[in-house]
Amino acid sequence: MYEDGKYKRNPDVSWRTIEGQAVLIHNRNSEVIVVNEVGTLIWERFDEGLESILRNIQETFEVSSIEAEEDARGFLDTLISAGALLPL
Amino acid sequence: MDRQVDPGHFEGPLIPHGKGAFTVAVGGIAVRFEGLSEQLEAAALERYGPFLSDAPPAHKVHLCEGHQTYLDMAADQFLRLEEQRLSEGRTLVSHVFAAYRPDRTPREGLLRLSPATPEDMALGALENYLRWIVADLALTSRGFVLHAAGLVRGGLGFVFFGPSGAGKSTLAGMSGAYGLLSDDLVLIQERDGAFCASSTPFAGTLPQSHKRAGVFPLSGLYRLRQAPLHAVHSIRPLSLAVASVLACCPFVADPAARRDRLMPLVESCCAAVPVAELSFLKDPGFWDIL
Repeated sequence: MYEDGKYKRNPDVSWRTIEGQAVLIHNRNSEVIVVNEVGTLIWERFDEGLESILRNIQETFEVSSIEAEEDARGFLDTLISAGALLPL
Repeated sequence: MDRQVDPGHFEGPLIPHGKGAFTVAVGGIAVRFEGLSEQLEAAALERYGPFLSDAPPAHKVHLCEGHQTYLDMAADQFLRLEEQRLSEGRTLVSHVFAAYRPDRTPREGLLRLSPATPEDMALGALENYLRWIVADLALTSRGFVLHAAGLVRGGLGFVFFGPSGAGKSTLAGMSGAYGLLSDDLVLIQERDGAFCASSTPFAGTLPQSHKRAGVFPLSGLYRLRQAPLHAVHSIRPLSLAVASVLACCPFVADPAARRDRLMPLVESCCAAVPVAELSFLKDPGFWDIL
């Protein structure tokens, strides 16, 4: 389960945003993830912390705070499972 | 405990295996090997025949005698390989019987080969070095290596990519009417603003003698999928096309190279040429729909 301030981006993951969608590649196993627009916002703004990310999701995608938090936490847990985020 | 890459692997006297030497060129990237035994030189000249070159090398490799073994060999890890990145352009690589230091600067590297190396594995160690350095040097000159079969039709390079088992060799084997660039690894390069496909000398399933050395304008990139019918579907959006190609780019241990060179280059390539999924049956009828 994701906890704010306790994870960092994995330095072994290279990424690039292409036409609004982030492409992440794990340098050790070449696994590639393509992220949708919400996920891209979360990944790009990861360093700003969860509160800022949620505010941006609500403003950009016009969703409720509950939906924003569910989406964000679900996606952050996926990133942890995929090894894209590591514990500090 | 398994042994890992150790900088000590590269210390000790530099004793060449012999006086043999040759230069091989891949897409204009020339690499020279020196210090080969007579036997290894003969094997290399035979394997790399169409790719031998007199061009000034972009990289020179010194073969020297090495330790008995470098990594522990487990029954299921016969081809084990460990890498340790020291800094940008400097990496140490160890196999069971070989260790190499393919420094990009000053364009010279060291390949230490164990005296215990079985004869058939010595050429394999040399080729592993060649694969590694060509992939690395390509990235510095707007190129990348792709796990793919490449074929030439009408003077254009058609590149069919996918992981092991996707059908690269099967497809290449069915396309005898066309020139073979490779059934395993193809070099993609940007030249004068356009993308090209180059043949590579790396061993695949099909004989080296089937290959047609050269550089050809890239017609398209096709991800392979074996299916009960022939069909072509464009891979879009661009992010998906880039991801599918990136997943088949090997030998880039350097994260900075991935980030700074490989990803934008693959994006440019995917924006410039068609990227599609090719579903194909085991017959050459798929050429009719390309």
